[in-house]
Formats: sequence, structure tokens, C-alpha cells
Amino acid sequence: MKIKLQLFGSSRDFSKKDHLMLEVKDKASIKDLRNEIIHYLDKSFKGNESFIKIVNSSAFCSENNEIISDNYKITKDQKIGIIPPIGGG
Amino acid sequence: MLHTKIVDSKKEKILTSNAEKFIKDSKFGASIYFLGTVRNTNDNKVVTGITYDSHDEMVIKSFKEIYNEADQKLDINDKAVFIEHVKGKLKLGEISIIIAVACKHRDQAYILSRFIIEEIKKRSPIWKKEHYDNEDSAWLKGNPITNKSSSKV
Repeated sequence: MKIKLQLFGSSRDFSKKDHLMLEVKDKASIKDLRNEIIHYLDKSFKGNESFIKIVNSSAFCSENNEIISDNYKITKDQKIGIIPPIGGG
Repeated sequence: MLHTKIVDSKKEKILTSNAEKFIKDSKFGASIYFLGTVRNTNDNKVVTGITYDSHDEMVIKSFKEIYNEADQKLDINDKAVFIEHVKGKLKLGEISIIIAVACKHRDQAYILSRFIIEEIKKRSPIWKKEHYDNEDSAWLKGNPITNKSSSKV
């Protein structure tokens, strides 16, 4: 399945675009998606440790703008947002 | 009564006059305006500006949730709340956030204003990238989003 991963905050440094296109297996979990992002970072940024730290400390949100847990199953092509640690105001 | 908005700094300015218009009502006896502004130093570094990034839909959703929770947790039902946050690049001294509240009494207004900014810090997906005098820039560390308990499985 194709995932359009929308990038926010510090994860914007992962690409010049505002998203990444990633391929995951059917019924993959958010945990699997996290691993797929790390795999992409290994290939594209030689495993940049600070980038991997961002992925591991991020939450994820669905197309419906809800935070989804690591066990959430991805059952169709969809947009998912990566939500690195926040700090507005 | 609630107003929320993400203000794109490339397109428009965030204005306290809009907040004043929104919360002004003779039924309220206390109004508080909280402004967040860009500071010139952080962690011993000279800051020249900040770029704000935002997940707009989630931020607006979080503002609405915070407003509704104020009803339940603080029992302040009669109120006007104006929340706007900027996205994009700001210079020193420019306003990044306006939280304007109006309530019947000052105790309620102080509590409500503080409650809203602290909750936004904890749960609204907004990020800051600081720009420094040596042309360098860095995303601030931030806090992992905390409402994982309410997340969907």
C-alpha cells in the first residue's frame, strides 16, 4: 500500500518536498511504518541519528486528524502525518 | 463563544484589534490579552527570528477541545475566547499567538487564559525553527505529544 507521509516540524528536513511516498505491506501497523521511515533515512541520509531520534519520538495522525497508536493497522492507501515533539506559543 | 484561526504570515498580519472586537461585550467585566512574541535569545544563542510550522486542522481541533474542556474542568461557561496562532517566519518582537479571553470576573479570566496557553503548549501540533545571527537555524526540541491515551488503535 502507498502511504503519503505528510512532514511537519523537524521532520521537514527529511525531504525537500512536504511529504514522503512510502510503500508498506497490507495491514501494516504504525510501528511498521516507523521502521519504513527509518529504512528510508538509512538509505537517503546514511542513518542520520538525529533524524532517527525524531522518528522514534514522533506521534502519527490519520487523515481524520486523530492521533493513532503504534498498533493502528493501515488497511488502504492513505495520508498519514508525522507529528514530531511539539512546542508552539 | 470561540474564534480560532491559523494566520499565515505570508498573507496577513495577526492583529490584537481583531481580538478586541471579538471578545468585547458589556456582559463581561474582565478581559485578558496574552501575546506570545519572538524573543532575541534562547539557550545563550542570539535569535534573529522564528519560523512556525503547524498542522492546521489538528491545531484548530485542539483549540476547540481546549475551549470545551474549560467548560468541564474550570466550570467557566460564560466566556469569549479568541485564539490565533501564526505560521511562517516572524521577526523579533512580532506576535506569534494571541489568546484573548473575556469572563464575568477577573479570577475566571486569569485562570482561563493560563489554562489555554498551557494546554496549547502540551497538545497543539505547532513547531518552532529558530534562526540565529550566524545564519544557522534549528528546530526546537519540543515535547512529544501527550494525548496518546486518547489515540485510535
